[in-house]
Amino acid sequence: MKQRITGALALLAATALFAGTAFADGKVGIGRQETIAAKSGKAKTLAELAKMYDSSSCIECHQDKHDEAQKSIHSRSVYGTGRTAMTIMSAIENGLMEEPYSGVKSPKDVKVEHLMGCAKCHLPQLADAEDSVAQELVTTLYDWKAALKKKDKIAAKQAEEKLKSVNISCLICHNRNAITHKWQDGYAKAGVVYGSKDGDHPSDKFPKMAASPIMGEAIQCGQCHGMGPNLELDEPTQCCTSYGSYLWSYKSEIGQKNCQDCHMKESKLGHNIQSYRDPTMSKTAVDFKTEAFGYYWRDGAQIKPKAVVKVEMINRAGHSIPDG
Amino acid sequence: MPVPQQLARGDRMGRGPYEKSGIIEDMGLPPGKTVHERFDIFYPLEEVEENGKTITRPQTYDLDIEVKLTYLPFGTPNSDPFVWDEFTKTVSISKSGK
Repeated sequence: MKQRITGALALLAATALFAGTAFADGKVGIGRQETIAAKSGKAKTLAELAKMYDSSSCIECHQDKHDEAQKSIHSRSVYGTGRTAMTIMSAIENGLMEEPYSGVKSPKDVKVEHLMGCAKCHLPQLADAEDSVAQELVTTLYDWKAALKKKDKIAAKQAEEKLKSVNISCLICHNRNAITHKWQDGYAKAGVVYGSKDGDHPSDKFPKMAASPIMGEAIQCGQCHGMGPNLELDEPTQCCTSYGSYLWSYKSEIGQKNCQDCHMKESKLGHNIQSYRDPTMSKTAVDFKTEAFGYYWRDGAQIKPKAVVKVEMINRAGHSIPDG
Repeated sequence: MPVPQQLARGDRMGRGPYEKSGIIEDMGLPPGKTVHERFDIFYPLEEVEENGKTITRPQTYDLDIEVKLTYLPFGTPNSDPFVWDEFTKTVSISKSGK
């Protein structure tokens, strides 16, 4: 009798353990446990987070794509030109610290959830990290700022490089964010590189490749390049709005191209995804015609010579210019 | 540019992603639409004595016109401009006539 009860208890414990593992974070969906984040466990340091989505093994066979991507600001999405890093600190000081219900009184209070207003796009994989990583990121940002103020170039460069160590690497687009409709298409799996084809992939870390249903679609970029306010957050943020403009102004009335057509293919930029700072992109984006002439304007008895300048502009891009 | 609404309420513009939510208006160039801008620039005039009379005439008959299409991702036209395109022309008016 005692043995039976023990057996029943053991069975209950096993059931509880299984249920706890499957639904520990309250999320549903079949195959979530196959993702890189689920297999790795949450990162505890920035270095661990960088390692989780380390794309250095891609270089051996895809050197050209890597070199292109390194020129794109995606490769330094937290640091940006320095202005992104500054803006994240502004978001902490002028946003979180001024919001009475954020729970942030000082940068030391910042957790992952607080940073997701920026990190949703600048570092989406931060969602796969513990709060200690948010703190390390914040500390690095302030170390960088302090080093700049002290004109300590070596310390500033060290902090800058650390900020650049986490970014929109190959694996963010080609794995983590390669599938938007996860209940329809399944969760992105560890060991699989998502692109245009199914099959074997000659890599120890990523032995399979699979066709992503959205890799050639605008929504791949639209995940970050914005609809407007990010209403899924407890405190909505708004940064890029170009995907919203693309859907409601361009796609609905003007044309059928997608982001990749202009920013990667026709521009021949490939993975060096650029916008206005690339001369070809800026030239093709806006038709700018101007004429100017002068004449004597008569206002009653008064003669007022004037120059007339007429400007005609047509935005050929698939979204409003500028954006933001 | 899209002029963001502060916290998605009222008539104030927001600044910074943490307070931007919504759009009050878009001053940018919409895709596929022709946008016209017109500028009327009057020549500077001066009053001078000529044959015992005071007359008004242009200080100059030539105006150097410079049009710059500038994108300001941050800062001011003097601090961090990105000149998308530009046009220059000297516009001249006649020196004689009825």
